Amino acid sequence: MAQGPYWNPLLETLPRERLRELQFKKFKRILQWAYDHSPFYRRLYQEAGLEPGDIKSFEDIARVPKVDKGMLREAQRRPPFPYGDILAVPLEEVTEFRQTSGTTGTPVYQADTWEDWEWWSECWAYVLYAQGYRESDRVFIPFGYNIFVAFWAGHYAAEKIGCEVVPGGVLDTRARILKMKELKCTAFMATPTYTLGMAETAKQMGIDPKDLGIKRITCAGEPGASIPATKRRMEEAWGCPVYDHIGATEIGAWGYECTFQEGVHVNEAFFLVEVEDLMTGEVTEEPGREGKMVVTALDRLAKPCIRFDSKDVIRWAERDCSCGRTFRLLDGGVLGRTDDITKVKGVLLAPTAIEEVVRGIPELGDEYEVVVSKRGDLDDILLKVEIKPGCEGKEKEVLERLQQELRLKTNLGYRIEIHPYGSLPRYQVKAKRFKDLRRKGG
Amino acid sequence: MRMEGRLKEIAEGIRSIKRLAEGLLEKGSEMEAVKRNVKRVLATVRILELEVCDVVEVLGGSKRENG
Repeated sequence: MAQGPYWNPLLETLPRERLRELQFKKFKRILQWAYDHSPFYRRLYQEAGLEPGDIKSFEDIARVPKVDKGMLREAQRRPPFPYGDILAVPLEEVTEFRQTSGTTGTPVYQADTWEDWEWWSECWAYVLYAQGYRESDRVFIPFGYNIFVAFWAGHYAAEKIGCEVVPGGVLDTRARILKMKELKCTAFMATPTYTLGMAETAKQMGIDPKDLGIKRITCAGEPGASIPATKRRMEEAWGCPVYDHIGATEIGAWGYECTFQEGVHVNEAFFLVEVEDLMTGEVTEEPGREGKMVVTALDRLAKPCIRFDSKDVIRWAERDCSCGRTFRLLDGGVLGRTDDITKVKGVLLAPTAIEEVVRGIPELGDEYEVVVSKRGDLDDILLKVEIKPGCEGKEKEVLERLQQELRLKTNLGYRIEIHPYGSLPRYQVKAKRFKDLRRKGG
Repeated sequence: MRMEGRLKEIAEGIRSIKRLAEGLLEKGSEMEAVKRNVKRVLATVRILELEVCDVVEVLGGSKRENG
């Protein structure tokens, strides 16, 4: 068993074939649990003519029906209120309520028992430990502790690791910066948008974020920490590594970068991630091939998550990480969402590609907005960006560079508006920078 | 070999804690303070099972198959 910077070396360095055996054993166990305890899952499997005992090999897993967010919403209309008949424990055993943000429709309510909550923080402990959090850290959490799961589990995991946790809940950004400075905090967790926003506010206060002594930052909630240009901006602003973490309310904390920053590890001891080809739906293990993530939380009990169609687009990396973990790497984290990747002028466009270009141009601010609409019969893409203070007068060359790099990266032409610094909307969570007005409600 | 033996001992220790906690729950379930705190202990024990016992079973199983 390898030693080193692992939360659990036994699992994190388990040979691949043993890891697969472990996943299969756990998959069968959670399937049986859901069949026995959740009316929703039992009905789903019975309608498909499937019983847990039918799953005899790893390959059989692909026969298990998938679930998606729409099905979860449907299920929660049935009793017991408010979770619906997907619930696999008596209602009185539920100790935690959280909900999804509702970005794509009616929020999904999430039930967790205390056992599940221990599991949540355990999954996050893998994330934070791999990113170098230790008991000597004083961790600031600039998060409005609320109905969204976001950094709640990160808070509990940091405690579990032995860090000193400072909850920066109801403070405004300026007060949070002052508190971090006052307490000499060494780490924090935030969305990429807010990490950039805090750096900007600190500079307005006459404080260089690099002087605050932050040694590591964990980002979640948006894909920015795996977008090279955004990551670079955050790391340059704060003078420390910024690590990505990926999770979701319905799934759990399933992915993380380690200190080697060579990609995003999937915690394969606790989650089974399958990649489905976007066109054929075939499950593929092939590195470098993009597909849709279908994920199973192997140990989540109150509201099981079995073969959940996350709509996230991912691809397995072609290499192993230098850290020695046998948990596979994803190249570039979540590359987009199947419901975000949209056809414009007949070309597939991923909003993350635009972000990579905009944030790669130093004369531009962090904020941008993309509006796709129809002009007559033709698709039109309007990109709004901000020129950084001190760079006024360089608009013409910036415009040319933007046009050129966007054409190269996305194969599309754009109308571009350069706005004064500070004039575009600022976000703290779930930034809505991409608007498709061709869609209803877009 | 030494590590394998130690893992088995850890797994057995986890199972012992579970048995002990379940016994406490049975004896003290009329006292809310006992019941609720033992339930928390059991939730932590479950995490230890996920971290150690599950994988010890897998390693033991594959060793039997190979041996």
